Amino acid sequence: MSITIVDARGWQNTLDLKTGEKIEIASPAVEMVKGVLQRHPYPGDMDFGSNRWVTDTAIDLIESYKPHFAFLTYAAQYFSGRYTPMTSDARARMISDAFIEVERFMSISGFAAIVVGTGDMTPLLGFVDVTGLDGLAVCTHWTARYAGLYGPSPDDMEVLREHPHIEKIVSREELVSLFDGTPEQALRAPEHLMLAREGYAFKTISGAMKTPARIPSLNFNVPLYSPGHTVEAITGIRRALEEDLSEKNVALIVLEGVGLDDFLWPHSSCRNSRQWYYYEPGEAQYLTISSGEHRFLDYPTGYKYFDEGDATRNYPFSGYFKSIPQGAFASAFPGKSIAVGNKSMFMHMVAGADICVECFARNLYNQGTMAVIHREDKYGQHG
Amino acid sequence: MYTVSGGIIKERFPYRWSSCGTSVTESIPFYHAYPGSRCLAIGTASCNFRCRYCSNAYIAKEDPEIQQDRMYHLTPRELVSMAKKLNCRSIVFNVNEPTVSIPSLLEVAQEAKAAAIPVGCLTNGYTTAESTELLASIFSFFNVSLKGLSPGFNRTYIGIPSSGPVLRNIRRLAQDRHVEVTTPIIRGANDSEIDKIADFLAGIDPEIPWHVFRLLPEDEMKGAEYPNIQAIDTALQSARKKLPYIYFHNFVGSEWVNTLCPACGSVVIERFSLGCGGDKLNRVLCEDNRCPGCGQKIKLLSEKNNSEHAKEVH
Repeated sequence: MSITIVDARGWQNTLDLKTGEKIEIASPAVEMVKGVLQRHPYPGDMDFGSNRWVTDTAIDLIESYKPHFAFLTYAAQYFSGRYTPMTSDARARMISDAFIEVERFMSISGFAAIVVGTGDMTPLLGFVDVTGLDGLAVCTHWTARYAGLYGPSPDDMEVLREHPHIEKIVSREELVSLFDGTPEQALRAPEHLMLAREGYAFKTISGAMKTPARIPSLNFNVPLYSPGHTVEAITGIRRALEEDLSEKNVALIVLEGVGLDDFLWPHSSCRNSRQWYYYEPGEAQYLTISSGEHRFLDYPTGYKYFDEGDATRNYPFSGYFKSIPQGAFASAFPGKSIAVGNKSMFMHMVAGADICVECFARNLYNQGTMAVIHREDKYGQHG
Repeated sequence: MYTVSGGIIKERFPYRWSSCGTSVTESIPFYHAYPGSRCLAIGTASCNFRCRYCSNAYIAKEDPEIQQDRMYHLTPRELVSMAKKLNCRSIVFNVNEPTVSIPSLLEVAQEAKAAAIPVGCLTNGYTTAESTELLASIFSFFNVSLKGLSPGFNRTYIGIPSSGPVLRNIRRLAQDRHVEVTTPIIRGANDSEIDKIADFLAGIDPEIPWHVFRLLPEDEMKGAEYPNIQAIDTALQSARKKLPYIYFHNFVGSEWVNTLCPACGSVVIERFSLGCGGDKLNRVLCEDNRCPGCGQKIKLLSEKNNSEHAKEVH
């Protein structure tokens, strides 16, 4: 059983990750994690202290748990960059601060690091409003480039194909074939996937929140800092981690919203794509990095997530995830591992780490933090 | 909101929606209306309150004029068509205050009625008696936000002189509409009123579901201390004896979101609390609206009593 501890500031509860039901459990691992959550209240997605929270929490966990592998995400610059209009100087300072946090983590922990940026961001030029179709367009407000399309009429298709800000419309067959998907995966894929041109975001139902100032660019390639390795694609990061971990403690660090132009350390350009498709920041990109395989089809952009919410109640605190994904890097790593992130409530699913601590924020509203202990049995073990 | 032109009050931005998306009724929150069903959640812009802690200030407090770029443009017919396309059981107005968009909502209600889709809303209940009747003609289920009782609290935190109209309207709506009530608790501001509010609700109908929210301060109060969960839970002890359906939530992992049978205390509906509009149904154990343990009737707005209600009202 994976144990979930939620911390709503000054109050904690312990739950079964799968069923969401309250459990009574007192163990050294649980007590240790409760203490970490208590000592590190989350300041909020848009708070300047958000990245500091990642470092501080990770260091605390490392001191208590002594892992060999850490999976960290720093996302403050992504959230602020997305929703706060700012000058290029201000943005550069913000990204510089994120690197300072990474340096601080490495300096205190002594961990080596492989650092990947999830890609640059570009000013929003406008929306592609697809709410008036005969068919149904589906995406979330975190998506820009892609939207799923269901049951379009011939008129819809004509309008969409001539739309100046739509680059391409791909059929389900083409989409599934691109990722060598199974018939079962095809069921979750949208009938069509629409691609917006750079700078434009789809406007669909359930999509409106705050208007973004910036959205992800066309990040076919992303920056990678991986000393001693030549890594051509994000699917190759896993191999580099495996090699390094045989010699030393290593952190995989994801810097959200940082692209090739903004990455401050020596880096290579790493493929973040397959043919016409590239990963936007999100679960699929993380799973692909973590598993070493393309994982777009696990929860494809534009799928009818609300239909599945009705179908199963499992993993109620894990966003879209309806099961623990197979193949996440740390789940196969024999040593101890942790994950800490301020991006979303999916680190515990995509990292596979023994212990994960993440912010619990919904649409930027700060609820507190959540920890998941997948491997209580490793607590107290050496090496 | 409205403008006056030639002596006539007109809606400034009809058919403009700040939000339009699928949700589940628990997340609105409605705990006793169509449990587990999908709804189309809609909102417009602006508000007749100026709550210092507003969590949707960018919609409720900003001038609607400057929000138009991001608004959805959907006619009432298109809105209802969207609800059908998405297999929504109901349409629920949330996010801001429906009173600021009554003409558009009247049309939505007409279209929805033709499609047999019930319409509900969140409202602050601060309306004239006449407007309240209009709201009652639009919506069949309400969650009224009773933010506090004392004039001092209402002046300081909400920007209104008195909660009197809200209390009057809860009383009125509860006569023939499904009503749930929400109170956001602000530490040191309205937490001393918990028992008085419970007394007020119990005096109308003890079976009114009452959502006690742990306030997450935003806007002018961002940075204020979060209310203490244990202290609020303790303060609710006596209120729970007066109102069987009290829910304490708006924070992740709350264990006070299940419905208990008022007679025997068995759990009859289980929910998950993700906080901040993310609550979910786990399971309903009272399929026929009766406690499986003792047979006690559980107050729920469901398919059956909705159709009966529709016949009475229209």
